[in-house]
Order: sequence, then structure tokens, then C-alpha cells
Amino acid sequence: MNEHLRCEGIRVSFGGVVACDDISLTVEKGKIIGLIGPNGAGKTTLFNVLTRFQPYESGSVFHDGENIDALRPHEMVHRGLARTFQNINLFKDQTTLRNIMTGGHSLMGDPLQAMLWTPSARQKEREIEDRALEIAETLNLTSELENEVGNLPYGYQKRVELGRALASKPSILLLDEPVAGCNDDETAELQEIIRKVNTELGVSVLLVEHDMKMVMKVCDYIYVINFGSNLAQGTPEEIRKDPEVIKAYLGEEEHV
Amino acid sequence: MLGQQILSGLATGSLYALTAIAVVVVFRNTRTINLAQGDFAMIGAFLGIIFLKDWGLNYFAMLLLVVASCMFLGAFVERVIMRPVADSDWLTLFTTTIGVYYILHGFAGWIWGRDTKAFPVSFDPTPVELFGALVSKGHLYNMGIALLIGGVLWWFFTKTKQGIAMRAVTDDPETAHLMGIPVKFIVTLTWCMAGAIAGFIGVLMAPIIYVSPEMMDEILIKGYVAAVFGGLYSFRGAVIGALMIGVAENLAGGYLGSHYKTSVAFIMIVVLLAFRPQGLMGIQQRREI
Amino acid sequence: MDAHKDNSPTAQDSQTDLPRNRTQAVRDLKRRFMRNDILFSALFFLAMLAAPLFPDVKGWMLSQASLVIIYIIAAMGVLVLVGFTGLVSVGHGGFLAIGAYTSALLTLHLNVDLVVGIVAGMAMAGLIGAVLALIFLRLSGAFMAIGTLGFAFFVGTILNNVPFFQGRDGILLDANHVLGIEIGDHGFYYVSTICLVLVTLFVFALVNSGTGRAFMALRDAEKAAMASGVNRLKYRTLAFTLSAAITGIAGALNAHVVNYVSAEVFADIWYSVDILMAVVVGGSTVIFGPFLGGFFVVMLPFFFEQLADFSFILKGVVLILVLRFAPAGIMELLVRPLKNARRRRLRKIGGSMAAEEAE
Repeated sequence: MNEHLRCEGIRVSFGGVVACDDISLTVEKGKIIGLIGPNGAGKTTLFNVLTRFQPYESGSVFHDGENIDALRPHEMVHRGLARTFQNINLFKDQTTLRNIMTGGHSLMGDPLQAMLWTPSARQKEREIEDRALEIAETLNLTSELENEVGNLPYGYQKRVELGRALASKPSILLLDEPVAGCNDDETAELQEIIRKVNTELGVSVLLVEHDMKMVMKVCDYIYVINFGSNLAQGTPEEIRKDPEVIKAYLGEEEHV
Repeated sequence: MLGQQILSGLATGSLYALTAIAVVVVFRNTRTINLAQGDFAMIGAFLGIIFLKDWGLNYFAMLLLVVASCMFLGAFVERVIMRPVADSDWLTLFTTTIGVYYILHGFAGWIWGRDTKAFPVSFDPTPVELFGALVSKGHLYNMGIALLIGGVLWWFFTKTKQGIAMRAVTDDPETAHLMGIPVKFIVTLTWCMAGAIAGFIGVLMAPIIYVSPEMMDEILIKGYVAAVFGGLYSFRGAVIGALMIGVAENLAGGYLGSHYKTSVAFIMIVVLLAFRPQGLMGIQQRREI
Repeated sequence: MDAHKDNSPTAQDSQTDLPRNRTQAVRDLKRRFMRNDILFSALFFLAMLAAPLFPDVKGWMLSQASLVIIYIIAAMGVLVLVGFTGLVSVGHGGFLAIGAYTSALLTLHLNVDLVVGIVAGMAMAGLIGAVLALIFLRLSGAFMAIGTLGFAFFVGTILNNVPFFQGRDGILLDANHVLGIEIGDHGFYYVSTICLVLVTLFVFALVNSGTGRAFMALRDAEKAAMASGVNRLKYRTLAFTLSAAITGIAGALNAHVVNYVSAEVFADIWYSVDILMAVVVGGSTVIFGPFLGGFFVVMLPFFFEQLADFSFILKGVVLILVLRFAPAGIMELLVRPLKNARRRRLRKIGGSMAAEEAE
């Protein structure tokens, strides 16, 4: 087994309320891993731990076998870990192109050289722009490159955010509910894109998602958490049949 | 000597404290850093001269009228200038109060002139013994009034319906609105209060520093620094900050020379904020500011 | 990404209208817009340089014009911070003073060249800005505003009370010289204009670089910026330092425009407020915003010389009206139609659906 990102014994609490209690999971290289659980199970908290946006009391996070507990959020991208947000988090007054190019910040190099337009900085700037254009093409966003993101429909914005994450040339992509709020067409499109990114670029993906159908379709392996602890893990087939999981989801609107 | 320094420091500090309280009240309820706060007091001081000299009123009638006029000024500024931009970001609100500052400043200079005027009531320097230290009667009087206003405000915020409603508005304006609290009225009331406090400060300060359009600039900065010191949301923090600044300033004035007196506030705030960016009693980013 | 580049065209594309061609067309158009901007700016600056050649122009007019330019440069410093990084400083008068006194004292004691004075003023302001950034940048919005105001106040106190700075008596300087040649009002006007051109060029380069993109990312969505790998503290410190350094240039020029510095002028904290006002009134999102704002802030008191208080009132009224009806500043209001027209064209050429819907 070829591990890419792993966490062990993560514990987070907010003023006495335990959000994550001793959670462990592993993202394998080149795989799409799903992280699911009922509302309030601690998915987003764990996700923020993995992306270093959330401090934790105990446990450790490893990337390529190296402990990354001490990394700060902005350092993650430089190691090849890119993330999106559950509620769209974009630069709304800026164009699609600029949004995606900002995602390529980690490829920019020295800010002093960049602001003085030195030849090497201009070279890098061109590379970032070219890459942004390619990503836009992959995500069917080419027509909206010069449009302010704030003007775009929801599904487009979701894709722009994905594009922003991809612009950093990540080796692992962490997506927090990428299809939340999307209609069926948009969901299908995003699902296709995620699969494309995974197979064609070899990017590992960790997916936190509420939409069961989608998770079952795209994921290679699934972790289920409930009440802040690991509940089950396995292939989509195994998860579908797991009695514990069925019990946990009983009463939830989306049955497995 | 030390006791005396501390005591007169507390006396100056209590006036900073009043300014700081006014800054905090307005900030809590409207997200506005009111740069014109000092100018309300300045206008009040000029009006005080008119009431005493031209109208021949006695001191307490003057005080009452000044406070009432400043309250009206505060309400006027809120209704006419601040309300139309009330939903903007805080920078817009802040710069709008700069506009108010300019207008009041220019207005005062235009009507009453730029040179300093003596206030008809003079500061009483007769020393009185208090806790073994000597303090002037004037300072004692100022401290007394400040304490009184502080007490009234405390009573207002903890015991009256409007005061409690005002705190609800601070905590969560939307819910407060849904609960039927007249948010707009509360905001107007907030500015009235800031005006009233400014009226007192104007009358209390005037005998010490003379009256001119610029009279309040320095005290205002101290008031802000004290408010930030306490975290901008906390009355208690603001008062403690103001008293600390007053005392530290006076000690610096006494032991290092009066030149360095005024730098103390800045050094204190830098040291504090370097360790506690949210202020002494602040809750950082309780709301997006 | 390369693997599927060739098999991705969607159904709507015919042979003549590949997305690739469209992208190229958009790029070309953008380049043309930028070329127009540069051309227009170049003409504007050429006109500024040519202005003293008119026969009626007197020395005092040029020093008044230099003063406007100084304010514009100072406001450019604030623009970098307020407009492009989303941080507010009410203490830039402090950096102006630091630039002014650095240059003035060097000239007084070492009799340095004006150019050296300007560079030193810029460096000193930038250096102190970098140190202060470490304190101020931990603060959020309103806290930072008051913290910086306190800084300007502190600088004022030092200038007033430390004997080395000669307080309200001020420091009188000899005539300016550049590269050993003595210059008068004309020469000084050219020096300030060249400084303005350089600063404008720099801000333009900054805004259109990856560094500027990182600043704006922090301004618009902090978390998303961090997720993109922007080091918040590093970039904010950089923005604050650059901002202080630019204002330091203005300060150095300010010391030499009348060959005199005194605490009477530089200790006044409302100087800082004036600079901020120039940015807010002129426009904080447009590079040419401070040009209008600086002109307004300097020339208003000049036109109402006999009615100083009236100019105060007018200033306040204009500020309030601008904030109410054109919150992004007057310049933004003026260029908005052009900007919108350009955007529409770009969108149309790009084939945006939203554009088609709007037509």
C-alpha cells in the first residue's frame, strides 16, 4: 500500500464538545478516497485538520510519510496539497482567469522579483497563465475567463474553485463537499471532472461529501465517521452492506 | 509625591475614560469608529462659553443645556449623515466620521475663530488632602462627575429596558430586530449618548485646556487608545485602559520630564497589542470588523 | 493536463471558432487595452513635463504643483495598502515625517544630494514600516486604524520634544541640488514629476504581477488566499513596507519643496487623515484615483485661502457625499463606463454565456 496522506489519532474539541475523537484515515496514492458520515459527525473538522486550517489537541498528520503537524495552512500548497471550501470561497470581484491564476501562487517564486517584472518572473507569470488557460479548458470555463466570478451561476463557481485548487499542480486534492447545492447536471459534470483529474493527472483525491450516490460512484475506498470517531471503512460495496453504517444513516434523508 | 502623581493621573484618566466609553458605545452598536467624538465636546465647550457669558446662565443650567445640545448634535449627525451609509463596510463609516470632523472643525473655526479662548469658569487648583495625598479641587470635581456618569451608564446598561435592548443589539442586531427591538431607534439613542457624554467632557475639559477648535484632538487620541486597549467592546476594559494611561502619563511626566508624557499612551498600546492583539478584555473578531 | 488537450473541444465549437483561437483573441484584446492605458498615461505625463514650458508659468505655481505631486505620491503609498491589500492605515503622516526628517537631517549635517535624500527617506520609512508591520498586522481592521493613528501621534510627539529634531523652530535647508547642480522651482518640479512617474510605474507593475494578485487575494478572501499558498504575514508585511516606503519618498520631497521642515507641519496627525482622504475621495481601486484625490486635498485649501474654515467644511461635505454616492471614489466613477465597455467586449469575444444572456 502506497500511502499519500495519513492522519492518526486526531482529537479536536470545541469548549468541551468533542468534534473528533481518535480518528485515523489514509489516502492512498492515485486513489479517490471518500469521507462520509451523518450531519455533525466531524467530517469538516477532520478535513480542516488535514488541511491544517484547524488546530488539534492530539494526533498527527503525515504527508508522504513525513510528519506535517507543524505546517501552516499556506505551506500545504507548496507541498502539493490543494483544497476547496464547503461554502464557495472565491475572489468574487475578480475574473475567473485571475481566480485560477491566484491558485498558481505557489509557482510564482520570489515576490520581489515578480513585482519588478524580472525576465524570470515574467516567464513564470506566463507559465501560470498558460496553465490557468489549460485548466479552464478542462473545466469548460474558457468562455467565462473574463467574467467576474460573482456573476457566474453556482455550478460554475464550484468549478472555478476546483480550478483554483488545480492551478497549484497538486499531487493530492482535498475537496470539501464539491457538489453540495448543485443540481443533477452540475453534479454529473463535476463527478466527471474529478474522475478525469484522478485518472489523467494521477492526482489523489480526498472527498468529503454528503451526496451518497456520487461518493459510491467515484470513490475507490470510503471512510465513515460518526460522532467524531471512525465507524467503518471499505470499498463502496462493503460500505453499502455494512449494518453499522446503515444504522447510523437511519433517519437521515439520504438512505444508502 | 508618588501618591499625588497617581491621584492626578486618575483624574486625567477619568476624562479619557469618558471619551473611551463614548467611543466604545458607538463602536459596539454601529461598528463605527467615531472620529468626530472629540468635536462634539469641542462644540459643547464653545456653547458653554455662550451660555455663560452671553446668556448669563449659571453653571448647572449651562451644563444641562450643553449636554442637551450635544445630544441633539449626536442624533442629528446619525440621522442625516450616518444613517444613509449605515450598511457600508467599516472603512466607509470611519471615513464618513472624518467628514463630520472636518465639518464641525471648520464650522467652529468659522463662527468662533481659531485662537484659544478662556472658559469663564476657571479650574480650581486649591489643594485638598485625600488619602494622604494632595489633589486639586478641580480634579476632584472632574473625577466626581466622571464617576457619576460612569454610575449612571452602568445603571442604564444593566437595569433599564433601553440599556438591555442596546446590549442585545450589540450582540446580534438581526435577532434583536426580529425580537421587536427598534434597532434604528437604539442606534439614534447610541449617538445621543455619545453626544451627551461629549457635552460633559467639553465642559469639564474647557477650564483645563482652554477652548479652541483643536482642543480635543489629543484627548480624543488618548480615548481611542484606551478604547482599543480595552478591546473596543468592553466598557470595563476601556475605563481601566484610560485610567492606566492617565496614571502612566503622569508618572512619566513627573519622573522623565513632561516632554515624554504624551508618548506614553502609544508605547503602552504597542506593548499591549504586541502581546494581546485583541486588547485587554477584547474578544477578537467577535463580529467581522 | 496535456494529455487531453487535443480531444476536449465541445460540441459548440466549429473549426473556425476553437476555444484556443478565442482565448488568443481575448489575450490580444487585453494587450491592446493595456497598450492604450500605457499610451494615455505616457501622454498625460508628457503633458505634465511640458507644462512648465508655457510662458505664463511662474515659480510659485510650480511649487504648488510639486506639493500636489507630493500628496499624490503619499496617497499612492496608502493606495497600495487600502486599495489593494485591504488594510487601513491612518498613520501615514508618520511615514511622511520620517521621510522628510531623514532627508532634511542628512542634507543639514552631510549636505547630501537631493536624490540621495529621497532614496534615504524612502529606505528609512520602509525600514520603520517593516518593523511596525510586525505589530500592526496582528491587529484587525479598526484596531489597526487606531494603532496606526497612535503611531503618527507618537512621531509627532518625538518631533516636538526631542531637541535633535528642533521642534517647532524647524530646520532650514539650503537650496536643493541634484548631481551637484543647484535647482530652483522648475528643477524641483521635474524631480517630483519623475518621482511620480516612477512610483506610478512601480504601482502599475505591482498590481499587475503575481505579488499584487496575492495582495488582492488577501483583500478579497483571506482563507482562499491561504489555501492558494499565500503567506498572510509575509505579504501583508511586504505591502505595509512598500506602502511606507512610497510615502517616505513623498516625505523627502516635502522637506525640500520649501527647504524647511518643522514639527508645526509634520507633527499634525491630521496630515495622515488628509492622505487617507485623498485616496478615499479619489478612488482606492484605480491607480489614477490618488491623482484626483491629491489634487483635491491640496487645491481646495489653496482656492479658499482666505476662508480656511470654509474649505474645511467643504472638504467634509465632499467626503461625505462621495462616500454616499460613489463609495469607490470619484475616479472610479469616471472610468467605470470605459471599464464596463471593455469587460463587455472581452466577455463577448470570450463567448461568455452570461454576456449573451445580457445582450
